[in-house]
Amino acid sequence: MGGTRLPYLALGAGALLLALALALWAGVAEGLALLLGLGLLAAPAWFPARVTRGVAGVYVLALAFTALNVLVEDLDVGSGLAVAAALGVAGAAFLPPAVRRRVTFLVPSLVLLLFVTCVLMFQAPGNPFASEKQTTQQAQQAQQRRFKVRDTAVAYFGDYLHDLVFKGTMGPAVKVQGRNVEDLLRPALPVSMSLGLLALLLATLLGLVLGIRAGLRPGSVSDFSSMALGMVGISLPNFVIGAGFLLVLALGLGWFPVAGWGGYQHLVLPALTLALPYAAYIARLARNGTIEVMQQDFVRTARAKGLTEREVVLKHALKGILLPVVSFLGPAAAGVFTGSFVVETLFGVPGMGRWFVNGALNRDYAVVLGCAIIYCTLITVFNLLVDLAYAWLDPRVRNAA
Amino acid sequence: MSAPGRPAAAAPGAVPEAHKGTSLSADAWRRLKRNRAAVGGALVLLALAAACFLGPPLLDRAFDLRAAPEDADPTRAYEAPSWSEPLGRDELGRSYLVRVLEGGQTSLLVGIVATLVSVLVGVTYGAVAGYYGGRLDEVMMRVVDFLYGIPYMFLVILVLLVVGDEQRQSAVPVFAALGLVQWLTMARIVRGQVLTLRHQEFVLAARALGASDARILLQHILPNTLGVVVVYASLTVPAVIILESFLSFLGLGVENSWGQLAARGMDVVNPIRAYWWLLLYPSLFLAATLFSLNFLGDGLRDALDPRTRES
Amino acid sequence: MARNLLGIGGVFAVALLLVGLTFSTTQEAPADFRFIAGAEPKTLDPHLMTGQVEGRYADALFEGLTYRDPETLEPRPGVARSWEISPDKKLYVFHLRPEARWDDGTPITAHDFAWSWRRLQAPELGSEYAYILHVVRGAEAFNAYAGHADLLESTVLPGLKALRADHPGGIPAPAWQRYVAKAHLNDAVKGTTDAPIQAALALKQGVLADPALGALEAALSAEAARRRAAAAHARVHFGVDEGIYARDDHTLVVELIAPTPYFLELTAFYTSFPVPRHLVEHPAHRDDWFLPEKIVGNGPFRLAAWRVNEKMRLVRSPTYWNRDAIALDVIDAFPVENSSAALNLYLTGAVDWNTNPPPLAIVDALRARYPGEYVLNPSMTVYYYRFNCTRKPFDDPRVRRAIALAVDRETIVRHVLRKGDTPAQHIVPYGLPGYEPPPSPLGLKVEEARALLAEAGYPGGRGFPEVKLLYNTLEQHKLIAETVAGDLKRHLGLTVVPFNQEWQAYQATTLAGEYDMARAGWIGDYADPNTFLDLWITNGGNNQTGWSNAAYDRLLWFAADPDRFLAEADAWLGRLAEPERARARIAAVSAAPDPAAQVEAKAALRMHLLREAEALLVTEVPVLPVYFYVNQNLVKPHVKGWHPNPQDIHPLRGLFVQRPEGP
Repeated sequence: MGGTRLPYLALGAGALLLALALALWAGVAEGLALLLGLGLLAAPAWFPARVTRGVAGVYVLALAFTALNVLVEDLDVGSGLAVAAALGVAGAAFLPPAVRRRVTFLVPSLVLLLFVTCVLMFQAPGNPFASEKQTTQQAQQAQQRRFKVRDTAVAYFGDYLHDLVFKGTMGPAVKVQGRNVEDLLRPALPVSMSLGLLALLLATLLGLVLGIRAGLRPGSVSDFSSMALGMVGISLPNFVIGAGFLLVLALGLGWFPVAGWGGYQHLVLPALTLALPYAAYIARLARNGTIEVMQQDFVRTARAKGLTEREVVLKHALKGILLPVVSFLGPAAAGVFTGSFVVETLFGVPGMGRWFVNGALNRDYAVVLGCAIIYCTLITVFNLLVDLAYAWLDPRVRNAA
Repeated sequence: MSAPGRPAAAAPGAVPEAHKGTSLSADAWRRLKRNRAAVGGALVLLALAAACFLGPPLLDRAFDLRAAPEDADPTRAYEAPSWSEPLGRDELGRSYLVRVLEGGQTSLLVGIVATLVSVLVGVTYGAVAGYYGGRLDEVMMRVVDFLYGIPYMFLVILVLLVVGDEQRQSAVPVFAALGLVQWLTMARIVRGQVLTLRHQEFVLAARALGASDARILLQHILPNTLGVVVVYASLTVPAVIILESFLSFLGLGVENSWGQLAARGMDVVNPIRAYWWLLLYPSLFLAATLFSLNFLGDGLRDALDPRTRES
Repeated sequence: MARNLLGIGGVFAVALLLVGLTFSTTQEAPADFRFIAGAEPKTLDPHLMTGQVEGRYADALFEGLTYRDPETLEPRPGVARSWEISPDKKLYVFHLRPEARWDDGTPITAHDFAWSWRRLQAPELGSEYAYILHVVRGAEAFNAYAGHADLLESTVLPGLKALRADHPGGIPAPAWQRYVAKAHLNDAVKGTTDAPIQAALALKQGVLADPALGALEAALSAEAARRRAAAAHARVHFGVDEGIYARDDHTLVVELIAPTPYFLELTAFYTSFPVPRHLVEHPAHRDDWFLPEKIVGNGPFRLAAWRVNEKMRLVRSPTYWNRDAIALDVIDAFPVENSSAALNLYLTGAVDWNTNPPPLAIVDALRARYPGEYVLNPSMTVYYYRFNCTRKPFDDPRVRRAIALAVDRETIVRHVLRKGDTPAQHIVPYGLPGYEPPPSPLGLKVEEARALLAEAGYPGGRGFPEVKLLYNTLEQHKLIAETVAGDLKRHLGLTVVPFNQEWQAYQATTLAGEYDMARAGWIGDYADPNTFLDLWITNGGNNQTGWSNAAYDRLLWFAADPDRFLAEADAWLGRLAEPERARARIAAVSAAPDPAAQVEAKAALRMHLLREAEALLVTEVPVLPVYFYVNQNLVKPHVKGWHPNPQDIHPLRGLFVQRPEGP
């Protein structure tokens, strides 16, 4: 296409402008670092396949080394590097292209995200040690040293990355002292994950049932009622939905505890509250999918063979209906995992969402960065899983890959 | 957040393939009018918007219902709904009806402005990426993918913390922050459309006639993506409104939106059972608006996207 | 396809199992007593904690020389069995219980206390509350003087040189005062007796030029050298043979710099608690020795579990010397911050005590329905608005006063808050022993307010700029701000826009002085007016209004030692608001028959000086007092040993549960 140089120039100029703006706003080092990060993100577009393979290997190495450092206490650097290098080589050689693509993307994304988060946190007014009463400079400096909070975002980011990769720690938390961020998030992650998974499953089941029911007879009363029911889920903020559940099921009927954690009975209301909006979206996707699939030839054939409606749907149509639903699960999972803080606050669930929100409000830098790493990784992993599931469900994609 | 902000995000099935002339044609208009849910939604929406923007001055003049700071009368705080005060009074004795209607102004504005921002950014970005394709497209989409990898609530909260002091009263940063995370899906959808459109005959013809890139994009390609843009924009408005309500729950939202009223109404969620109207009415208005918007959005999709058209 | 559904079911089951793994609480025995503890504690290290939430745990896990009586909060013999106080009240000798133990069995000795107080004051620790024990000889020098000297030498003096170069003809007073604030000079020379420095700090008008400037530089250098020497001396001696030291294993000596009537109370305050040296000094445990798997305490309870954001479990300590006096065996504390969730847990019987204030909307319903359980009692806390006295229009005291006269506090308290708070027309809460607040002109007087405003050049509010009323995001602040804005619009025709910032941004804004009016609150540290009045001394760290009044500063300086006032009384009596009262108190001092009576008479004089200072405050109105808080607690009827008090302190050691006998 003619004149393609112009948009490249525009893009480059845009990136430069962005970096310049950041440099003026936050500092020169921040601006340069942003340029570097954007470059890191964009560069793979110019890499030949062989280089991509190599880069993926290096990234796997870095990821593996960091993960080993976080997971294994007192890791010996030599052996850690050796294991990570082996994994890196293996990754470069054997990883399927889809996974490799996600990995080459994950690492620069993470680094850039951490950097942007650092800059934003440092630019936000306040600091982790602010307290109602004025403290002496001395006490403040002693705290800064103890919690490794440096004066600028770039210095802090450098320290953080170094400690993360070589010491395997996400740094000390300020608002709940005595533990590192990874120790604080470790019990919270399974809580959020399990709550999220449960909510996702509830959403999928509920959404599929409602959506297929509606899609089989579009325009009918059952269509309208199903969709209206589903619509409630997206038409109310879920703190209102949660409040409704609380008022009726917990306070009114006394079936469930009002808050807390520690048994399956604590799980029902939060999971249901979290699931409803997604159930509504899935219902819409399933309805559209059903309408479409039911008009296709192979379904007509199946019907002509005399199969019952139930058999037609379960044996033949379901796969086609599932496709769009599955591809929605990636973003849905991201939303469920990262968006659970309202539900966590409402029902007193000790999950990740509260860490992130309180960390941000308290300017507890290390906590926010720790949440960023986990969220970003989770989303990438989920997108990868969705890619794989999609490939498995859709032969066209499978063959293309 | 539990509101999935990007419903059609990675759902290729939801992105209609390009059809020449997929715009707001007379055909689509007819289909839309046949969709009772969509028409109903549109009517309810119009009524709500009219009530929110015209209601407060009318109520002031006709029934003496007001909610300005100087109208606060704490001695009448928490009066229950009655004939003279249909939705009761709030914590400071102001007319709750007026407050809810004024809250509607804010919420609707947030939704519309943020959506406009997301349309503007998303369409431009997506069109450029899709039109030029190749490496440029790859780089630009990498940036989008990067932003996708960030939990959007994360970004919104961080941005709000940075800008969030005095300017927040004018709500501009909230609009901007919400718009800035919502453009990603729009960019992807538009890019997909443009990618298929750019090799169509009418584009090739225009190019052969020596039209510039900008002219081709503006005159030939973008009009053809209008349908998709309208559909997705109509679904973005409710997503943004609900997103704002979550920010309100955190105390980071816009002053006096429905979300904020509802979040403060959460005080009544307890076995004491008092002042139920504080939670109920803003929630009802919010739900009615989102309900209508979603029905309208669905209707638009059905009308504009032949693939899901009922046969 | 049915296989797929089976697969989905499988994932579902696995997810549920995963969830089960996070339910570690199910095997735990139920607690005798459960309460909502508010926020998650920041730390359990008594030397680093600062808040009420943390303090409650410290009182349970540790014990100082004394402990607070659960009912009266008077100090009772704790680790110290008995003590003697010297006649000049500056020397305390504590006799420690030989049977007192850390809960790992190690005996607690006087050395532990000496070491702990030394650790508290070590500048490397950076304890925020170390200043509370600065009455101990050498503590301040050890804690702060090295830092002061650094600040003077590396920041203040070079900065002063640069400032001098910018203003060759002498530094104008405003530029000088800006520099003082920026360089934290008041902090760096805190307590100095050096005349040139005091004169320079008090300079409000004119220019600072040679020779005074040269003298100041020399004085600052000398001050730095003096402080460095004192710090070096204290580093060797404090906690070893000076200030606090062990005479033998069970005898502890504490030397104070001045008689301190509340010193024994300080020995029951968590900042003075001992920490287990054998654990805290270990390099591997230094930063996390208070985690449940490591912690060693000496209090009535031990920390059994601390699951962040979920719960904290305390169990009765088997090694505590007075274990038989402790009634509760197992206590669960829930860190719930959401007020609705906390209330619901309480009302459904999941907890026995809710320390979180319930949502404002339902306080009247709660008062009506749970009169015995919803306990409201006056607190030592004041709610006020700061005026930015450096900005127009609030640099004019008439404007500030006009606004203070147009706010209807009675309505706010009765109809907005509805929980029995007290309208405040001055700053020091009622009920402080020995103190009677001055008559205050600040009621609701609309006519007077209008007249004042007109006098200031804004008749009927004309020409008055739109101003912003800043508050940190919280429902009750919002309601009060909106009410005040309404009052000012209605009564004075002023446009005041309430606006909120989240906590951190709000703090940054008020610290930087970037506001017009801003909400604030202050909880008294101890039952004395000084803890409130001390806020508004010139350039005080918590002043944040830019208000500065030499007479006010001087009155507080007098109050710190009434003898200072007696020396200058004649010159000052004419400047006081109530000279007659002052004269009577001076007479009482000279008429005192014995030293004890004289001490008492001086205390009364001191209270009057503070009253004079507050009278200045309510005339100049740098802050607009709104109301005095009540403490709010919800306590089940079966909880006994719980006593309301202004400080809102309810030691867990005194609580017990007594359920009514079943039929």
